[in-house]
Amino acid sequence: MTQSKLYRPTRRRFGQMVLGSATLLAAPAILKNPVRANIAPGSTLVVGVWGGAQERIVREFCGQPLIDEYGVNIEYVLGGTTERRARAYQERGRPSFDVIYLNIFESRQAVRDGVTQAPREIEGYDDLYDLARIGGYGVAFNATTPVYDETMVEAPITSWQDFWREDLAGKIAWPSYPGAQGTAALLMAARINGGDEYNIDPGFEAIRALRPFAAFQGSQAQLFGMFDAQQVAASAEFGSFTQMYADTQNPNVIVSDPEEGMPVAMNVACITEGTENQALAEAWVSLHLSQACQRAYAEQLYYGPTIRSLELEPELAAKTIYGEEDVASLIDFDWDHIIAQQAAWSSRFNREIAN
Amino acid sequence: MVVALQPRDCELSLGDQITRRVGAARADTPCAQRRQWRRVPAALLLLPMGLWLALGFAAPMATVLLLSLQADTGIFAPLSFIPSPAQFMHVLTDIYYLDMIARTLWTGLATALLSAALGLPVAMWLAALPPRWQPLGVALVLIPLLTNVVVRSIGMILFLASNGPLAQLTGINILFTRTAVIIALTQVFMPFLIMALYDTLATRDRRIDEAAASLGATGTDRFWFITLPTALPALRAGVTVVFLLSATAYVSATLIGGGRVWVIGRLVFEEALQIQNYPLASALAMVLLVVCLLIVSLINLLFRRLTPWLQPREGRARTGDGFGWRLPALARRALHVVAPTLRRVALSVAALLLVGPLVFVALNSVNDVPQATAAAWRGFTLKWYAQIFSEGSNYIDAAMLSARLAGLSALCAVLIALPAAFALVRHPGRGTRTAGGLFLLPLALPGIALALGVLRLLQWFIIIPPFVGLMVVHVVLIAPFTLVMLRAAVESLDIRLEEAAASLGASPMRAFMLVVVPTLAPAIFASAVIAFLVSFGEVTVTAFLTTARMLTLPVRIYADVQFDVEPTVNVISVLTIVVTMLALAAVNRFVGLDRVWRR
Repeated sequence: MTQSKLYRPTRRRFGQMVLGSATLLAAPAILKNPVRANIAPGSTLVVGVWGGAQERIVREFCGQPLIDEYGVNIEYVLGGTTERRARAYQERGRPSFDVIYLNIFESRQAVRDGVTQAPREIEGYDDLYDLARIGGYGVAFNATTPVYDETMVEAPITSWQDFWREDLAGKIAWPSYPGAQGTAALLMAARINGGDEYNIDPGFEAIRALRPFAAFQGSQAQLFGMFDAQQVAASAEFGSFTQMYADTQNPNVIVSDPEEGMPVAMNVACITEGTENQALAEAWVSLHLSQACQRAYAEQLYYGPTIRSLELEPELAAKTIYGEEDVASLIDFDWDHIIAQQAAWSSRFNREIAN
Repeated sequence: MVVALQPRDCELSLGDQITRRVGAARADTPCAQRRQWRRVPAALLLLPMGLWLALGFAAPMATVLLLSLQADTGIFAPLSFIPSPAQFMHVLTDIYYLDMIARTLWTGLATALLSAALGLPVAMWLAALPPRWQPLGVALVLIPLLTNVVVRSIGMILFLASNGPLAQLTGINILFTRTAVIIALTQVFMPFLIMALYDTLATRDRRIDEAAASLGATGTDRFWFITLPTALPALRAGVTVVFLLSATAYVSATLIGGGRVWVIGRLVFEEALQIQNYPLASALAMVLLVVCLLIVSLINLLFRRLTPWLQPREGRARTGDGFGWRLPALARRALHVVAPTLRRVALSVAALLLVGPLVFVALNSVNDVPQATAAAWRGFTLKWYAQIFSEGSNYIDAAMLSARLAGLSALCAVLIALPAAFALVRHPGRGTRTAGGLFLLPLALPGIALALGVLRLLQWFIIIPPFVGLMVVHVVLIAPFTLVMLRAAVESLDIRLEEAAASLGASPMRAFMLVVVPTLAPAIFASAVIAFLVSFGEVTVTAFLTTARMLTLPVRIYADVQFDVEPTVNVISVLTIVVTMLALAAVNRFVGLDRVWRR
């Protein structure tokens, strides 16, 4: 709107100004309680998400309801977290994504870097565990834990300390750093040896003592391939999906419940900073926090629900992170500090351990 | 090769005449060649490819260079235009990086050597096939390229695993070692070398072999004195391509190396995408690029020494006259004894590597297991096929998009590379040599670095329609292959055919359409097929350019296998292989490819 036009408004311009002022006046109300009615039919939501089962679930429980209710389009950009995050960072301020899914520490960093928004009180927010209210909207809990092939070890693994047992020497697929599992394993190695995220040396030294490794695994799919090939005996991995793998494919694989506990990991739905589809994006996330969607995640992937209200059958609950007690038992770290150290730790990991 | 025409040039040695007849005749009659080709200046022939690369490659490449000269490595650090050598100093003074560069080069060279050793017998076998079977033979050779990288890697892991056939039969367990990575890279890159050799071998003059045989030369003699020297220019092309591809590859190294095998490409990926230290990643990529080009020029030098008869007179002085291929009598006798066995062994190993994936994916595509990595047979099912074709799977859409993209990209690549190939061969000189080197740069830059440059230039790609943007980049990635292959073919083109046409009154255009194009048809076809397949399988760079509506098949698969590898990926590979074979067979049947195939 140029200056000259402001001074001599036409009737239409005047109407627009009235409408604009009204919107401004009403803004506080709209912002406090986002109204879905301002989702324009025909608008397009771009969602960056993992492929496979997760894509199928969100298509069914988040995408389709929005399409049916508002006549909008949903576009899925499929891929891994690494590429998605790098792209979102490059597009900071003028994102091509509206919603992206990140891991726990990446999401908090992304909020600090101005790439994604801090959570707002959208529908379903009140139901979230506190842990799931940072860095966006946590949609699924995961925990990293030792997993192993029982036919290749002498005794069950019940502790992170068991990685240093003699019968596991040379048979471990260590999760590579940086990555959610590699980060968790490094932190636990430090923790059980008297260190923590601020004193990481004990962790590095302990892991170095484990060399040589049978392999380094960079993803669940890779690890399962290694288990299938009977090339490795143990690793640290998300319990959820490994349990699904054990149930459906490889009954020899056991997901341990270590006495020291498990570091938290979480899938987080993040709305990008600068999205033009704020209301639609929030509606999407709310649907992801719905009981139906959370249940599908738990049933199909054993991912732990991040909402308090979902009731799971005892059998299913036993296989997922479920309930106040489980969630409270997850080990949380200072992720801001950890992400700040990532480059240095990665360099050190490559040189001292993976090389 | 602008050499002053001396009378001596017309008095060719016997060896020269033979090699010329064999088809390696590089247009050695400069007088005629200049008459013919002066009409189209070299610059004009180089222009299409030069422009395309300037657009699609130089811009991202310049971005990578600029990034590599930054001192500040922060993600959001503003770009400085004052160059800083900090990153290069960091890389070049750290023994860790230098060691990794050495290991990367070793991986590339070993892969190239192994590919040459295994690929040469296959190319000879392919060239000797009856023409009607050649499309099938080509399809067999191309199987590894048609098989998705993840599927291929899973097959290799299962084959080499401690509970797999190799370890069970021989007790050798090399999985998660560099040797395994080299074998896996050979499997996928050997087809490039075979296709480069195949054209030269299939189109050479059989009468040379007959003449040699009638003079008492054994098969081994003929290989040593005729086939191998004839194949050297193509072998150089193949070895160069395989080396560059394997030195910049990282996905296989990560998967087959079980995370224990490091190559620079993997480090670039990690620094760029996980750590988001773009300056360091860029510097690593640039160092790799320069070192790779050095190695390539060494390879060229070596092949120049090996093919004195293809060099200008002044270059030959030190290599002596005629062949440098004489062997001591003892070595020759030994060669006679072992050569046939060696050839058979190489052929079987190559066949195993090439066709192995097909057996694996075909079996596993009907295996009733929840994940593609399963080693055991759990019963027959067609549900994975059903899933591919089920509503909402999007695989078919993605495949159609990939095919369209690959088809158009291959066409563009051939159209821009063909004139450039003529310029490089027919207008040798400093300028064209430089251009030829520059045109190969996209091969030497790790794909991930190009992606990085493109990533930085994303705002440009937003105003460009996604499909066009993808195509521009794909052509950049595949045109160098096309150029290398077409160049070898144009080198072996007998210029006297064009002279004969010209002397009979044909205009250059007419001679080109009626003489050159039919003669080059097999090479054009082979390079187009390779270009198509490279584009069809590309994922590293494409992953950054895809939008939701432009999701290519490999990117789709790549996204699916992050969490679990469902057996549907096997189905996709089986279908790709079957469709390619059918397409080649159909072309053969209806267009009569076998006539085009054999000149």
